Amino acid sequence: MKNKILIIEDEKILAEMYKEKFEAEGFDVFLAFDSQEGLEVAKKEKPELILLDILLPSENGVYLLQKIKKDNNISKIPVIAFSNYDDQKTKNEAMELGAIDYIIKANHTPQEIIEKIKNYLKK
Amino acid sequence: MNQLFFVLPILSFILIFFLGIIVFLKNPKGSQNRTFFAFSLSLLWWLVVNFIVDYIKDLSISFRFSQLAAIGPIIAAPLFFYFSLIFPRSEKKPTKIQVFFILFFCVILLILVPTKFNVEKVWSEEWGVNFKPGWLYYFLGLYLASYFILIFKNLFIVYKKANSLEKTQIEYLLLGLFFTLTIGLITNLGLPLVGYNRLVTLGPSLSVLPFVGFVAYAIVSKHLFEIEVILTEILVGAIGTLLLFQIFMAQNTFWKMTNSLMFILFFIFGWLLTKYTFREIKRREEAEKLSQAKTEFLSIVSHQLRTPLTAIKGYLSMILEGTYGKVPIVAQKPLENIYASNERLIRLVNDFLQVSRLETGKIDIELKKTNLESLIRSTVDELWIKTKEKGLYLKFEKPKEQIPEILVDKEKIRQVVLNLIDNAIRYTSVGGINISLEKRKNYVRIIVKDSGEGLEKEEAERLFKSFSRGAAGQKMWTEGAGLGLYIAKKLVELHKGKIWAISEGKQKGSTFYVELAIQ
Repeated sequence: MKNKILIIEDEKILAEMYKEKFEAEGFDVFLAFDSQEGLEVAKKEKPELILLDILLPSENGVYLLQKIKKDNNISKIPVIAFSNYDDQKTKNEAMELGAIDYIIKANHTPQEIIEKIKNYLKK
Repeated sequence: MNQLFFVLPILSFILIFFLGIIVFLKNPKGSQNRTFFAFSLSLLWWLVVNFIVDYIKDLSISFRFSQLAAIGPIIAAPLFFYFSLIFPRSEKKPTKIQVFFILFFCVILLILVPTKFNVEKVWSEEWGVNFKPGWLYYFLGLYLASYFILIFKNLFIVYKKANSLEKTQIEYLLLGLFFTLTIGLITNLGLPLVGYNRLVTLGPSLSVLPFVGFVAYAIVSKHLFEIEVILTEILVGAIGTLLLFQIFMAQNTFWKMTNSLMFILFFIFGWLLTKYTFREIKRREEAEKLSQAKTEFLSIVSHQLRTPLTAIKGYLSMILEGTYGKVPIVAQKPLENIYASNERLIRLVNDFLQVSRLETGKIDIELKKTNLESLIRSTVDELWIKTKEKGLYLKFEKPKEQIPEILVDKEKIRQVVLNLIDNAIRYTSVGGINISLEKRKNYVRIIVKDSGEGLEKEEAERLFKSFSRGAAGQKMWTEGAGLGLYIAKKLVELHKGKIWAISEGKQKGSTFYVELAIQ
């Protein structure tokens, strides 16, 4: 059975790139382009892992992370904060809220990100 | 002297009362604010009761109050101990055993306070009321000294993990406490031991004034509780009130006029001081807002720059990995060059962002116990392929003795090592790089030695400045803006460590040293 991944990413070019790569590696990928959509898809699909962008339209990814952690149905889904927004305060907030990692997208190829996710899913 | 015994307690009372109220009102639900307020109240008790002892005419009431004065410090000490656990971040709570002992000693002492074990008797002297302390009085000194040791210990532990602002706040608190303890122990314990009790009732006022002074200075200079403006007004008001009072208390026309003149002069300067303080604080707040806006701007800009670079990196890596089929041989090298150039751009964005943060002091370090040997080994593994591509060796010599784990920000030190090795790779064409780790008495030393271009003495001295390269960097085709070593230096300095380079000259290689204290 394929692992389900939810990618919440507002940049369509990046969202499609990661979707393509993840599907090629055998994942079932769901996309969401803003926090409201992300929350709905997370509740509906209950993925094994969520890749969450931080700078999202209308609502910051950290607020969405708070909502995810407060909802008992989806609070246990591991969330990786996944952004090019390299701000220590935001990073600390995300980690304190329960994100398992904070990845700067530009510093990793899609393959490297997949390796990280596979490691997390093994745990 | 009599005037001092009258004026000083009143001044102390006004200052502590308003400081406590203002701190409480700033955040009534905050545990730090509430604890500080309760602590202020217990100090006020101590001040007021001692004042009454000196000025009440009835000796039996004086006797009772001289015993009750001890309630203030008995309660103040555990309150401040609790404050030292939750300041500056409310992360700790006292353990159950600590709570038990705090309550146990508090209750026992409070029960014994109104007994002759505390104060045996009082009598009138020319200068005021004298007293004979009982054994409990000296036990109280031991009780207070023990709490102060615990408080200092708590604040020192927090100090190590604190950021720069919190460190300054704690420094002022510690200084204030040190002076309070020293003066208090002298006036209320040391001197009574040799039979001089004159300063006992003045002791509270003398000893808490430095504490109030240092806390006040911390508020004004470093936003302790963000009430510096109001505090300035309170201070000016308190002193003005006393000067006005002095006018009415003056014995003759000459002193009335002198005190009036002093009051008018003080009023003018007080008004100017308040105005200047408002202006300074407003200017500081604007500068802080500007700095914050600049930081956010930098983060947003770097985010925007990184987004298209991420897409280029991602798709190129997928093409080179064969996701879209085998790459034609003629296209392989050009694609790899594009990938490498894109990586260079990403590194530049990362470096510029980091330098900006270092320059504006917006980088904090998170100190954690770190195994430097593992850290260096993993960094070496990361860069091994790069050295192999250039035909160089990269060796990490196992340390001769066990290196203890030290308190560092792991990611920052990893970057220091990465930048040093990366720099060595760039400026070495033949041979390779040796990395070693040594333990000295109070510090560990990381050594990165290369067989590269080497440095002249003047070059080594300016090497760690930003945008600086040695002559080799200008001659050789090397990528990078010359920021790597500058960033490494700043990160080492954040850890209060040292970094330097030596070389025997051109073509004789270079050795870079980093020293970090063992904590």
